[in-house]
Amino acid sequence: MPGQKMQGLILIACCCLVLVLISGCTGNATGKSIPSADPAFGNWDLTLNGTTQKVLTRSDLETLPAVTANGYAVSTTGIRFGPYTCKGVDLRDLTALVGGIGEKDQIWVYAPDGYLWVFDAGQLNGKGFVTFNESLREVPSPPLKVILMYEQDGKPVTYNDGGPARVAIVSDSPGIVTEGSAWVKWVDRIEVHKK
Amino acid sequence: MKVISVSWVLVLAIIAVLFVLTAGCTGTGKEKVPLRVYCAGSLIIPFGEAEKEFEALHPGVDVQLEPHGSIQVIRQITDLHRPGDVVAVADESLIPDLMYRRAGVDGTNYTDWYLPFGGNEMVIAFTNKSRYASEITEDNWYEVLSRPGVKVGLSNPMLDAAGYRALIVAKLAENEYHTSNLFGVLLGDHFDPRLTVRTVGQVTTIILPEIVKPSDDHVVVRDGSIFLLSLLEAGGIDYAFEYRSVAEGKKLRWIRLPPSINLGSPEYAKNYRTVNVILGFQRFSSIGTERVGVPIVYAVTIPYSAAHPEIAKEFVDYIAVESQKGRPGWPSPVNRTEIIRE
Repeated sequence: MPGQKMQGLILIACCCLVLVLISGCTGNATGKSIPSADPAFGNWDLTLNGTTQKVLTRSDLETLPAVTANGYAVSTTGIRFGPYTCKGVDLRDLTALVGGIGEKDQIWVYAPDGYLWVFDAGQLNGKGFVTFNESLREVPSPPLKVILMYEQDGKPVTYNDGGPARVAIVSDSPGIVTEGSAWVKWVDRIEVHKK
Repeated sequence: MKVISVSWVLVLAIIAVLFVLTAGCTGTGKEKVPLRVYCAGSLIIPFGEAEKEFEALHPGVDVQLEPHGSIQVIRQITDLHRPGDVVAVADESLIPDLMYRRAGVDGTNYTDWYLPFGGNEMVIAFTNKSRYASEITEDNWYEVLSRPGVKVGLSNPMLDAAGYRALIVAKLAENEYHTSNLFGVLLGDHFDPRLTVRTVGQVTTIILPEIVKPSDDHVVVRDGSIFLLSLLEAGGIDYAFEYRSVAEGKKLRWIRLPPSINLGSPEYAKNYRTVNVILGFQRFSSIGTERVGVPIVYAVTIPYSAAHPEIAKEFVDYIAVESQKGRPGWPSPVNRTEIIRE
């Protein structure tokens, strides 16, 4: 009987060893995990330029009133990104910190990779965007908001997704897709241009 | 002894089964080599066909296409530092302008050559549902597109080369047909604010506002050609300025424009250069805001950082050969197919 017990233990040990050895196969295809935040994020800040200037840290951003809504983008070649649950700060609230925007003003949003996109005041009020359903058929636009998103699906926006903060066009209705050119990644500066 | 033997046989059997089940996890031997190809949006159809054909010829290769606007195609390598084996764009000037520069500390350029592999031309795409579809011809297209109630689509010139090329074609048409303000009637007067046009000497410049926004229903602007085509098929617009290869690939009807204005004929390059477009803002810090009328020439290169340069070269060679065959939906054959070096 002791011999039998020993063999049983060896059997179990072997099975455990094999399971441990193969456990790496259950992860993602690349074997790499995407960090929830880039190490360089610690140095990130957001410069706001209007009639005054203000610099916000990530913590400052999180203390501002937050919007949580649905976001879904499509590239110029038809590649869809999302749907996401987006959390961030309405661009109107951000610009209000540096003097606000007038009816004819423009909002220039910059990223350190050299990308720039320009919104008008109407767009910041959710007007003038083309909206699609998930099949990319055009549909009437529900109320939209333009936010600086810092959380995507309940987690900090990753570097690959444009973190620590990117523009998102969001709505309370799920499945509404918007054109992705305005979804500026890696935003680090927002300027109000008076017209 | 009998109990021991049975146990060991069982252990060995379980191990063998698990090894068989997990054989694909070792990452060696049978995995396909990924070939990452960034291409212009107007190359989706031909490169999609090339992907299947090339993979059939090279069963060990997985061609991974990623389409973008042409400038974004290059930025994947130069600004975003993403891995890529092949770069193919709809404007040959972009490669020397954006990639003939140092990539890193070793002094290597992102690339120092490119291969022109195809041409294209602007056409007016439409369907049987388009208003006046039975009336439009190569001779009266500009008159039909000017009629009240007709909806004309173009892609956003801030985002898509086909968009600013549409503006250039419309302006060139003004001289071609000796019709003053044809550009305004066709497109320019239907934006808020109206598009500014300035002529100095022989050169006319169209100046875009920061936000390209139609002022009425005559003009419809979408970010990319794919959305225009979808609108065209659904009857949301009647006509669209498009590349010939795209209209052909989507099996749309289309009107051929005179070679003197369609940006498809190198012999008219001097005429094309008489119109340029200044974009409303510098969307990318790596490239300025001026877009000049030039013949449309597609170009391909292999970036210095390509992980699989030998296979990439085979793919480039395949594209070059197939493009010369004049396949439907592909860029048209070009006379000059030699590699251009820095």
